[in-house]
Amino acid sequence: MQNMASTPTDGRPDEFAVRLAGIGGQGIQLIGKTLALAATRAGRHAMLAADYGGEMRGGPSNASVVVGPPVAEAPRLRSLPVLPAFHAAIVANHRFTGVVPERLVPGAVLLLNSSVVDPAGAGEGYQVTAVPATRLAAELGVPQAGGFVLLGAFIALVPLVSEESLVEAMTSLLPAYRRQHAEGNARALRAGIETVAGVAA
Amino acid sequence: MTAAATPELTLMEGAAAIGEAAILAGCRFFAGYPMSPFTPLLEHLAEALPAAGGTCINCESEIEGVNMALGAASTGARAATGSCGQGIALMQEAIAEAALNETPMVVFNLARNQQDYFQATRGGGWGDYRTITLAPKDVPEAIEHTQLLFHLSDLHRAPTMLYGDPLLAQTRVGVRLEKLDFGPLPPKDWELDGTRGGTGQSRQVWTWAMGKATDPGPGPDLHWQNIAAKFAAINEIEQRSESAHCEDADTVVVAFGSAALFVEHVVAELRAEGHRVGWFRPITLWPFPGPALEEATRSARRVLVYELNGGQMIDDVRQYAHDRSAIRFIGGVSIHESGLSYGPLLDAPVIRERILAALPEGDPR
Repeated sequence: MQNMASTPTDGRPDEFAVRLAGIGGQGIQLIGKTLALAATRAGRHAMLAADYGGEMRGGPSNASVVVGPPVAEAPRLRSLPVLPAFHAAIVANHRFTGVVPERLVPGAVLLLNSSVVDPAGAGEGYQVTAVPATRLAAELGVPQAGGFVLLGAFIALVPLVSEESLVEAMTSLLPAYRRQHAEGNARALRAGIETVAGVAA
Repeated sequence: MTAAATPELTLMEGAAAIGEAAILAGCRFFAGYPMSPFTPLLEHLAEALPAAGGTCINCESEIEGVNMALGAASTGARAATGSCGQGIALMQEAIAEAALNETPMVVFNLARNQQDYFQATRGGGWGDYRTITLAPKDVPEAIEHTQLLFHLSDLHRAPTMLYGDPLLAQTRVGVRLEKLDFGPLPPKDWELDGTRGGTGQSRQVWTWAMGKATDPGPGPDLHWQNIAAKFAAINEIEQRSESAHCEDADTVVVAFGSAALFVEHVVAELRAEGHRVGWFRPITLWPFPGPALEEATRSARRVLVYELNGGQMIDDVRQYAHDRSAIRFIGGVSIHESGLSYGPLLDAPVIRERILAALPEGDPR
């Protein structure tokens, strides 16, 4: 079942739904907020539905982000806060993928953190991209920023928002006591973009 | 984030958007005790209300919170409290007192699920009172409802309630915060001035509306007759509802709050596939929009009630559906393992399956 009536603009549905799946501590909630905030500031409808347990680290951490049409083109989003279908998924960890396989539409973009997720188990019918995000982040000296490597790779695959808008959104979302991580997160984002684009760093 | 009206969309968590809407409506006093998923509203107002010149108190209990709000409201200020259903349970006495002594006040129930329908629509206090209750289906509507509730509360001199849920409280969406104007209100000539006497309006509100020796007031008999008559009048004039595709529908699905958003989505799909299905949503849970439901179900051979509880709103549907024998319950209790939100029943594919299972073989015809 398709979540929303598709009126494709540049080949994408006008309400593009992406599922972020990982474990607490991988930055899933921050990259979800970053994507939704960047889209909002670009004048588009956006939604973020978070889904996580009581644990700070190690438990399931999921988020659903919808990037919708420009505000001028639609009065509101039609997407439900519990999404029946996703056009893409970013899987940061294999332990709690939850609804990811069963709710991906055929041909969905499936981005895997191959440092911990085996791409062989991805299943048929998706556009699978494997990025060793945890390893790349560690090599950059920002081991906590694997989520941003994945977010960079994702927008290189599905250019919903610009790199600059993500850096700006991420920076404004960090609390003052974590502002020193903004530069490293931005480097991780760039590394993710370059990995997918095949451009030398 | 300020309370100033913003023309652009702002990405906000629903609870924060409700808090901003309360400030836009002129709320300047809030008191509450944290309880998930209501807590983010209290947290937001703890910062935003003082910045807007108001007061927010994180008090020691829900009982204290609701009575502080009642006290603030008795001076004429726009005041509110909130919790989830478990905390609202503790507030029942004060909500009834506010209804009987005619003090406006808004109560926010950012609930864990839909199991508080009876609590919201029947109430657990004493006396002939009801609570105007709005159940928004999404965050933009909650912004509108929050402002409307302050207006209705002042208009009718009665406590009012917003009944939301975790999806409303926690989902972040781009919202437009605009101050809404619902028209003129009567002067608050009843407000207390806090003096130690001489004005006749110093320090006391009472459910008997008993006055002074020089102004004895109506007394309990007439006062409570007046209160009962007031709520009977509100029942006539404040019903709100929404529906679609009911004119020729064989099947009408009734749902409220977030659940209605899901039903609306599924019914649109089924319509596109040729099923003669419609939906009806009470926007005010009390007063329940009975005549509108009667009209919406006139052609229906099946009236399906979808709510995330053991069957509460269905009691009101039974009072008003055109054909009572057509009513079927397709909801149920469904709780997330944390206890703090919905379980798997609140999901479009599940709702679709339940509606289809209620349709006869071979539908559409």
